[in-house]
This record gives sequence, C-alpha cells and structure tokens, in this order.
Amino acid sequence: MGKFIGKAVKRREDARFLKGAGKYTDDIKLPKMTQAAFVRSPYAHAKILSIDTSEAKNADGVVAVYTAQDGCGEYGVPCGWQVDFKNGETMREPQHPLLAKDKIRHLGEAVAIVIAESLEQARDAAELVEVDYEELPAVTDPKKAMEEGAPLVHDQWEDNAAFDWCIGNDRAEVEAALENAHHVTEMEYINQRVAPNAIEPRSYIADYDVNTDKWTLYTSTQNPHLIRLLLCAFVLGIPEHKVRVVSYDVGGGFGSKIYHYTEEAILTWVSKEIGRPVKWTSDRSEAFLTDAHGRDHVVHSKMGFDKDGKIVAHLTDEYCGMGAYLSTFAPAVPTYLHGTLFQGVYTTPLIHLNVVGPFTHAVPVDAYRGAGRPEATYLLERIISKAAKEMNMDPAELRFKNFIPPFDGVKESGYQTQVALQYDSGNYHGTLERGLEMLGYEDFRKEQSEARKNGRLLGVGISTYIEACGIAPSAVVGSLGARAGLYEVGHVRVQPTGKVSVYTGAHSHGQGHETVFAQFVADKLGIPMDDVQIEHGDTEQVAFGMGTYGSRSLAVGGSAIIKSIEKVLEKGAKIAAHKLEAAEEDLEYAEGKWTVKGTDKSISFGDVSLTAYVPHDYPEGLEPGLDYSSFYDPANFTYPFGTHIAVVEVDPDTGKVDLKRFVACDDVGNVMNPMIVDGQIHGGVVQGIGQALLEEVVYDESGQMITGSYMDYAMPRADDVPMIETDRTVTPCPHNPLGVKGAGEAGAIGSTPAVVSAVVDALSHLGVTDIQMPLTPQRVWKAMQN
Amino acid sequence: MISHKMKINGKYDINASSDVIWKMILDPEVLEKITPGIKSLETTDTDTYKAVSEVKIGPVKGAFNGNLSIKDKKEKESCLLVIDQKSKIGNVVAEIGIKLAPSEETNTEIQYTGEAKLSGKLAVMGQRIMSGVVSTLSKQFFKALEKEIENK
Repeated sequence: MGKFIGKAVKRREDARFLKGAGKYTDDIKLPKMTQAAFVRSPYAHAKILSIDTSEAKNADGVVAVYTAQDGCGEYGVPCGWQVDFKNGETMREPQHPLLAKDKIRHLGEAVAIVIAESLEQARDAAELVEVDYEELPAVTDPKKAMEEGAPLVHDQWEDNAAFDWCIGNDRAEVEAALENAHHVTEMEYINQRVAPNAIEPRSYIADYDVNTDKWTLYTSTQNPHLIRLLLCAFVLGIPEHKVRVVSYDVGGGFGSKIYHYTEEAILTWVSKEIGRPVKWTSDRSEAFLTDAHGRDHVVHSKMGFDKDGKIVAHLTDEYCGMGAYLSTFAPAVPTYLHGTLFQGVYTTPLIHLNVVGPFTHAVPVDAYRGAGRPEATYLLERIISKAAKEMNMDPAELRFKNFIPPFDGVKESGYQTQVALQYDSGNYHGTLERGLEMLGYEDFRKEQSEARKNGRLLGVGISTYIEACGIAPSAVVGSLGARAGLYEVGHVRVQPTGKVSVYTGAHSHGQGHETVFAQFVADKLGIPMDDVQIEHGDTEQVAFGMGTYGSRSLAVGGSAIIKSIEKVLEKGAKIAAHKLEAAEEDLEYAEGKWTVKGTDKSISFGDVSLTAYVPHDYPEGLEPGLDYSSFYDPANFTYPFGTHIAVVEVDPDTGKVDLKRFVACDDVGNVMNPMIVDGQIHGGVVQGIGQALLEEVVYDESGQMITGSYMDYAMPRADDVPMIETDRTVTPCPHNPLGVKGAGEAGAIGSTPAVVSAVVDALSHLGVTDIQMPLTPQRVWKAMQN
Repeated sequence: MISHKMKINGKYDINASSDVIWKMILDPEVLEKITPGIKSLETTDTDTYKAVSEVKIGPVKGAFNGNLSIKDKKEKESCLLVIDQKSKIGNVVAEIGIKLAPSEETNTEIQYTGEAKLSGKLAVMGQRIMSGVVSTLSKQFFKALEKEIENK
C-alpha cells in the first residue's frame, strides 16, 4: 500500500456528475447543427416493396432524406470476431447495411434517415416517409430458428446457423463418462435476453469540416479508436487520419457501447453530404429496439458425479441467438468468452460444450456485463446446486469437494483447464470459507428449518464463480478469431513543471479511471494526486488504444501506464545523476525525489522535469523531454473469483421473492481503491439480481417486442436490493505489475445463480428443482403449485 | 410465448330490431358518422371501404388509413368485419365476427368476437392498454349507433 494505492479516495469525476455538469455527447451543440430521425420498421421480417420520401423531403425544416438507394456505406458494419464451424466451414457473415435496402430483418431496423433543422421537424417528417412492406413470418427463439422450415434470416444460406462450434474434450469421451457416472444431474433452461439500459442513451454527432477535409465524430462509445478503425477502414473507406473520434463522458455501457452501430456510420456519411454537423440521440423506445441486447442462450446440460460427489464429466449443448446480424463482438460472447470458463473453479476432468449460434429476427446481441462468463457461471453454479439437492449433499460441501486447490501462479504454476485457458492464481476455498462465515451459514440452516415449521419459506443460494478478464493477450485472442489486438496504450507526459498528464486508451463510462489511475500514478511518482491529470476518449490526444470492456482497464491499461512511468523514472535518474554529480546506481527514488544513498543530497521530480525541458546543464547524448508512451500486451487473462451468497424469503401466498441478504466475498487481486471496487461489485450484483428476478426482453412469435418500455421491462430498484455485504480475499495477479485482476463484471457474474438457487432452496421441500428466470411472482407461485 | 394477437370480444344491447341494426351497420353514411375518430369512409367496392381515421386515447395516438370490408354476410344475423389499417405508430389487422341476437322483439344483443394483430409502436408500447382502448372505442361506436337509431 502506498500513500494513495489501496485507499478509499473519493471519485474526482463525481463532482461534475453529481452537479449535472458532465459532458455527454447530447450536451454538445455545434453551430449550424442539424438533427436526425430514423424511419424504423414496424415488422421483424418483411420485404420492402417501396419507399416514398417525397412528402418528407418537402416538409418544414427538412434538409435531406436518405434511403439505402442513396448509396451510403453499402458494405455495412463489420463483425470483429470470427468463430468458425467445428467442421472447418467459415463463419457465415452477412452484410449489415446502414439502412435496410430490400429486406427487414429485425423490428426497429432503420429504412430511412431524415435530417432537419430541429429534432421535432425531423421526427414529424420521418412520419411522412411512406414505406410499403410485405410482412413475412419471423423467428426469434434461437432453438426454433434451427428447426426444419424455420423462416430464414439470410436467404443465401440453407439454415440460420452463423456458426456451430465446440470446445473441450472429445464429445464421445465425455458422453461415455456420463454413461458410467454414479449420478447425473440434468438442466434445461433459457438464459433470457436482457436489454442493457445504460442511463445515457446512445448519442452521436458527426461534423465534417470542408476546409480541412476532416470529420469529427462525437460518440457515446466504450472504444473510440476501435470505432474509428471500423468506421474508416471497413464501412466508409475514409482514411483514418481524416477522422477524429471523441467520446467524453459516457453514462454507462455494460458492453452495449462496444458495438460499432450503423447510426454512427450513417451520420458520418450524412455530415459530408449536407456539409453540416448532424446529431442523433436515441430515445428510450429506440434503445429497447436497437441497443445490442445480452444473453439469449437456450441451454441443455448434464453433469456427472462419482459416488463421493466428485464431478466426472460435464456436457452441454446451447443455442445462442445472434440476432439478425453479427454485432462487433457477438460471436465471441457465447464461445471464446463463455466455453473457456466451463472449468469453473472445479477439477472437472472432462468437459464438452457445443454452441450453435443462429441468426434470429431480433436485434443483435453483444457483450453485456460479463459477456459469456455470467452465462457459464449461471450454468455451473445452478447445476452444482441442483446436483447437491439430488445427492442430498450440502451445496457448500459439494463445492469444497470439487475445488481446484490453491495456487499462487509463482511458486505453484497456473492451473491448466480442459477448455484452453490457464488460470493465473486462485484460492477458491478462501472466499467460500469467508462467505459462509459472513453469512453465519450453520445458524442460517437452523433458522431455515425452524421457519419452515412455521410455514415461512427461507432459502440460501451459493455461487462460487470465476471469470476471465483483463482481456487479453493479442496473440491468444488472434488465434481464437479476434480481428483486433487487445493490448493497451498508456502515455505519461511530464510537463516542464513536473505536473503529469496521462493519456490512456482505456475508456471510462462510469468506472472511475480518473481517480484510480491518478492514485497509482501519484504513488509511483511520489507526487500529489492533484499533480496528475487522466485523459481519455479522444483519438487525437491518445495513441491507438482498445477501450474498456472485459474488466481490462486497470489490468491492461494500468500496466501500460506503469511501463511509461518506469521509462520516465529511468530517464529521470540519468538527469538526476548528472545534476547530483553521482552515479545512477548510487541514487534512490522515493517521495518525489532522487537522493544519493546515505546522504542528504537530493533533487526533486519537478527540478528534473524542468531540466529535461530546459537542458542547459544536461547529460551528454541524452534527448531532452520527459514524455513516454508504452503499449502493454498482457501475458494472460486475469482470473478474479469469489463467493456470492443470497438469502431469500418467498411469500407463500403470492410467490414474491424478498431478497433478505446478499453476501459477496470477492478476490479481484490487489485493490487500488476499495470504495470503487465495492461500488463496482454493488452495481454488478444489482444487475445480476435484475436478471434473476425481474428483467426479460420478450418478443412475440411475429417478432414484435412486447417489453419495449419501462411499463413492461422491469429494472431493479432500491427496494429490490438489500444492503450488500462485501469483503475480499487478496490473491494477486502474478503477471501484471499492479497485481490486479479487474472488478467491473464480477458482481454481475456471481450474483444471478446465487439468487435463483436461494429461491429454489426455499421451495425445495415442495419439490421445486428449478425455475425459469426471471423469477417473477407468477412463475414462483406456479412452481409452488406444481 | 405470449401471443401478440389481441382478443377482442364483447356485447352490447341495443333497443332496436336486428332488421334496423343490420341496415344501419351496412350503410356507409351511417358508419362514417358513428365510427369513432373516422375522417372519411369511401366505398371502393361492394362492402369494401377505404377509411381514414384519427385515434387518440391516452398514449395511443395516430392517423390510420386502410381498408375496411364486410364479409360472410348472413342477412340480419352475422357478418365478419375485416380491418387492415396502417399508421405511423404501427399497423392493425383484425377480423371481428359480429352476431345479432334478438333478445326480445325490439331488442337485440350485438355480440362481437375476434382477434387483432398489432405491429410497431402499437405492439411495443400499446399492447398493455390496447384492450382498454378497443373497449372504449367499441362503446363509443355502439352509443353512437344507438343515438343514430333514436334519431331516425
């Protein structure tokens, strides 16, 4: 721990957020700016017979109206990750046009864009665009999409599969082990579609400057450089140095703002056509229809155990809906970010997962907090809890029995899984022991059986998760189909006065980078936090960086900054040695100054900085300046883990679930700021509770979304959530300089199965073994009646 | 899976013979007067009309246009109302069976039953309140019909 590292320093960015002074894209108003509105399909699947824009073009205030016929980006937006068929066939990758041309493939797909002087005029004129459709049958259920005769989303292929992929041990071997198992637990369920619901809707402004022949795109994204690369090189064919992408404050992403959306590209195209800036901000209804959703897995799984309760094999088949097109990360989410976690924290010797990724007539999915790992954790933790009930064992005991033994990744090597990854370090017993202790598990079991006698339905659910974050070693993800490297850049610019500007390729959309990064930079340089400024989100300030997702900012982005700090200190030592007339090896650096060991001769960081920029009395042959940029490509993913335990009481008359306690003991490696880690865990846990109890995107059989507003889509509110009790164990990451693992997604990964298992536990004496999420009172009540 | 097809059914007692009612509801001039929100009703073929209407109830507000037709007519007994209306807030396709059941000599119960298929904003935003909207509109229609009969 340093002066700032490990301290609960209050978030610098909160002053502006709490005062409503954040600078979000929609807050930006440029001179001569126009407003856009989209004409969107009321059908999920339809032929476009004709589009008549004549009336709209003549409406008040209208600047222009465009359809696909106007030739905007006909190649469409690309996919960023290739997942091929297990038989070697290449992933099926349809064009994803910016505006639908002949065919509609999901509800809300845009067919025209209307540009006007005001938003109201744009929206009014959009209503005047006449589109004739011929509605066609649709399919939105991933499994039904693979049935014989299902309506095809893309006519050029004989079925709807984008890929059919598998990972793990040989299927026949796993099947044979299940045949011979002492006990087999089986589960079939749907990990339902959820909507991301960032508090800030997507917002974009494109501004073409004819004088410099350059564009500026202001966008609410998680990865500005990636957007620039995709937009320039793949969609519009604009040279990258002609485009600046700016993403200042972003109000939540949760993965849904990784995706390079069609609207970003079409606005950029439009801005040059009309020679004026153009803005579009999604409204909440459009967000439900067009933001990338999460999850959508149809799961069938079997886990086999020997007579002592040791897992012998695990076999799973999934249908994971892609939606109508492949978003930037969609194919990776249910495959390489999902199947690779099927080892969990257990010594399972044989694992096989098969994933079919069908196109459906629904909005594309993409990463959603945890991206593939919550789905893996849900399956593992639910099936183990179900198995414990079936084998009449305690769910904690069954877990202890199957845990991978502790290893630190230094003295003991990493743990090689059956599903490609090698875990870095872990102590899975530790968090479960602490979690049970925090809960008072044995006392709770007594209270539960007493309560049952009085007709009260209490239950406890345990989840011992692991996840892979700090995404990711470029060569590894490249071999797994990623079309980008996943390193990060960190630039440390020491100003002549010794003040420090840090430019990171990571992107904050709520995480608190401005605080946490400043904490460790200040500590490593021994200077006050006030002397450190963290900048992000502008492609003309920051070198090519990869943005933030997969809990990577600190583990990867932080490590890149550390590399630059090391270079700064190395050069600073040369300057200090010259000024102090001492040998470099005789110097030590602490508290912001170089001191000749054993003397009181020293020179401050500020004086060295000034010398670097006013190099009058300076080491021979040394370049002036103190300014370093570094790229850091991690050696491995990082593997945070933990134990989440939920306690619920179910109302016997209504089936309403009251979440009474939630205990989270997480291990995210070293902690830079415990308050921010707690905040991340809290937010993630609540998102996971939302999926367990409340949230679900429902499409009807014709592809109409019947949960398209907050009247029908239930978000968790304060009274759905108890005080979350957090604690941590610390198992440092052995392969990055800060020893950190990442905390952004852990809450959403661990919490969901804990809540569902708790409800099932409360009702187990009634014969309930599983309930489909979300656990609405209606579903719980029905389960109790059967 | 929850069905997007909205059930429509109900009944209404009108103090008139089935003979009178039958004539009234097949008369485009009367229909134009009594259908709530209707702006124009133009006969395009036998028992087929092009209708333009504006409906505003709560958050459901839109200008609709499209076809209305009456099929499977059984004189003074029953018919099928086929509606295909488009609007910027979504489209409505409905088939509603109408039965006239004389309860007394001067009294008839009009029974209607059918399904409507909604799309677009109507389906996304409106499905929760649409059955209420339909019931309000039907009441308005029958009240207007009653009034029209009284005035004759």
